[in-house]
Amino acid sequence: MSQAPIRINGFTNEVLDWKAWLDIVDLEQATPKQIEVLEMSHPQAKQQDYYRFLVHQPEVLLQRSEAYNAIMYAPGGLARADRELGAMVVSVINGCPYCVSVHAQRFEQLAKRTDSVEQVFTEPRTAGVNDREKAISHFATKVTESPESLGPADIQALKDQGLSEAEILDLLHTTSIFAWANRLMLNLGHAEAKA
Amino acid sequence: MSKSESLASGKDFIDTMAGISDAHDLFAVRHARKKVVDATQASQQLFFSETVDGLSVAERYIVAWYTSLLSKAPSLAGEYRRQLHQHAVSDDVLMAVEFDRVADVSDTRMRAILTFTRILVLDPKAGDQQALLNLKAAGLSTPAVVFLAQLIGYLSYQLRLVAGLQAMKALEEAK
Repeated sequence: MSQAPIRINGFTNEVLDWKAWLDIVDLEQATPKQIEVLEMSHPQAKQQDYYRFLVHQPEVLLQRSEAYNAIMYAPGGLARADRELGAMVVSVINGCPYCVSVHAQRFEQLAKRTDSVEQVFTEPRTAGVNDREKAISHFATKVTESPESLGPADIQALKDQGLSEAEILDLLHTTSIFAWANRLMLNLGHAEAKA
Repeated sequence: MSKSESLASGKDFIDTMAGISDAHDLFAVRHARKKVVDATQASQQLFFSETVDGLSVAERYIVAWYTSLLSKAPSLAGEYRRQLHQHAVSDDVLMAVEFDRVADVSDTRMRAILTFTRILVLDPKAGDQQALLNLKAAGLSTPAVVFLAQLIGYLSYQLRLVAGLQAMKALEEAK
């Protein structure tokens, strides 16, 4: 990275490592099904503790990866940078430094700027360089902290910023699946500085 | 509505829980994201399927009911409570879940599962290695621990998706 890393409130956009707290699957002992699911989950899954721990349950990991990849990478609909913004806001609120670093890097690659990243690290609930980004952050916050209080006004607020129904659904999918992703990363192992 | 009736009408579990049908514009919008819809429905079936080892099906429904109650998701809580009628579950577990008093559960394994569930749902930052070692000490294998964490993660996703779809549906119906 050419610029100095961003480090605010315990979050960073530097590349981190993640180590599992229990035994991971030994690739030498893995079943063909486990290898197949690792290969479809992520290009570097075989080298990562996270996937090698989750692949103790290959069928479950397969469905999780199908859902995750369809939500984050599907063409059309909400801009991918906006999906990464939503993912970053949820991950900061949930307190997942590993998830935050990954999605801060993705946001930067897609948006070609870091201003929103600094804002999300500083105060995720009101982050955004314009009203549209602020509306995305506000919605992501509510999905994370008080989903039971979501109502039509929350959807209208996104429509007022020009989001279509399909884009709102993409944002809902993104912010909802990070409730899942963050919980795994936070409770099955820990982030550490890259060796 | 039973599962077979839902699927015959083109509605899946999430549609049923959110109360949306092909009469809503939202139904077509949601089903346009076919891969997400399919993976979400496949997850629902997988997490409650007897073909996957780890937790008993009754344990999974207890975790699902508890997660829905802690998250104030009434339609899901009602559905998972109904599913529990088909399983033998002791009264002390049902009472402990309903009144959020996990420490009252006498069975070590069930108490460990529910304690882990409570932390993961309400304060995911509070998890640590000891929480996983407690599950292992209560008799869960590593694949069972992975299954439990994935189940709670999935439910955390599902209940937010349902709440958001209900909000989208309410806006559509108000117009």
